[in-house]
Amino acid sequence: MISQATSSPVPNLFLPSPFQVTGVRRETSDTITLRLRPPDGQVFSFQPGQFNMLYLFGIGEVPISISGVHPRTHDLEHTVRAVGYVTRALARLRRGDVVGVRGPFGHGWPLEEVRGRDILILAGGIGLAPLRPALQYLLAHRPDYEQIVLLCGARTPADLLYQPELERWRGRLDLQVFVTVDRGDELWRGHIGVVTTLLPLVERFLDMRRAVVLMCGPEVMLRVAVRELEDRGVPAEQIFLSLERNMKCAVGFCGHCQFGPAFICRDGPVFPLPRVRSLLEIREL
Amino acid sequence: MSKAEILEALRQHPFTHDMDEAWKESLAEIARLQTYAPDTLLLREGRAADAFFLIVDGLVAVEMFVPDRGSLRLQTVSAGEIVGWSWALPPYRWEFDARALVETTAVVLDAAQLRARMSQDCALAAWILSRLLTVVAGRLKATRLQLLDLYAPPPERRPA
Repeated sequence: MISQATSSPVPNLFLPSPFQVTGVRRETSDTITLRLRPPDGQVFSFQPGQFNMLYLFGIGEVPISISGVHPRTHDLEHTVRAVGYVTRALARLRRGDVVGVRGPFGHGWPLEEVRGRDILILAGGIGLAPLRPALQYLLAHRPDYEQIVLLCGARTPADLLYQPELERWRGRLDLQVFVTVDRGDELWRGHIGVVTTLLPLVERFLDMRRAVVLMCGPEVMLRVAVRELEDRGVPAEQIFLSLERNMKCAVGFCGHCQFGPAFICRDGPVFPLPRVRSLLEIREL
Repeated sequence: MSKAEILEALRQHPFTHDMDEAWKESLAEIARLQTYAPDTLLLREGRAADAFFLIVDGLVAVEMFVPDRGSLRLQTVSAGEIVGWSWALPPYRWEFDARALVETTAVVLDAAQLRARMSQDCALAAWILSRLLTVVAGRLKATRLQLLDLYAPPPERRPA
């Protein structure tokens, strides 16, 4: 269940609960979305932007953003890119398998606080995953928000996540969706270029000085986008970023994801820009 | 189309909207408003760079033809942006193709007349070239980011 209420993790923060895999959807050549059902029919509440630790017994544990809930079954969804030892094993899971889940952890997108505002969602690559539940929430509460614009960038057309859903979003009259790819193919008739090249189009739909921006993607993209957004008049305190580091314990004990004075797992992964702006400029972090 | 329509398009376009009104009127005299059907080439590599396009509506791809691979699209240019700066630099020859991907409308300025007016009015030349440089720098930055291939799979992490 997507909730903005304070969520309550499992009592023992280090004890994974066995979730059953109820479906696996291939998104791209290296990315899948797992559908997970909590044990004993429990309802799993989370805030969009939070993450879970997914544990494969005997293999390892990785932090994965919650990428939504299945519209009919309300099963939890996690989109996983198979790029390492554990994520490749996760991508091999099949329906009926069991995966350990700890969470939800961290702070999500401030969707309640920004009611009544224009919302710009800026996603690059797999960065769309933690933004998807935010968009699902916004659309479920559509009258509470003004203009909503989604900018989405991917490497190629084949690397676009959630393609059927993207098509549905593009068909809505109450949502502006712009998609771009870094490299097109012979069938691609849309935008080609990095996602920030779409920003000039946004100004036709919303007032950048009043817009709230939610963004996630490669950190270079975030840095560039922050500068371009501020150049276009978006105040820093209206920009929220989801950051990624090597999270292990997920509760701020181990220090693996320390980012200056903050722990990404506990204090993030979503931060208001003013809190991390100076840290983003420190290359050693 | 009337000069008034072109003038209004220049007033609305981000490239020229804050330009001195007298300059806009001067540019309107050497411009036409043209609509291109999907798949139409606006300009072609190797041909004389004889026009400057201010895209009013639609989507244009910058392409290069590669034997055995066809026309490869490098970037797209949207409404509110411009296409073409080779008209400002000798030898005034297009270096790429530009193709309308959807029905596209542009204010098309006659490059030879524009260069003549810029050579007679240094302030106009400085204004246009300065604005053009901003566009070129923006496209260069976007191209560099594309070259970084930011969405490529990250280097493998060993399990801790």
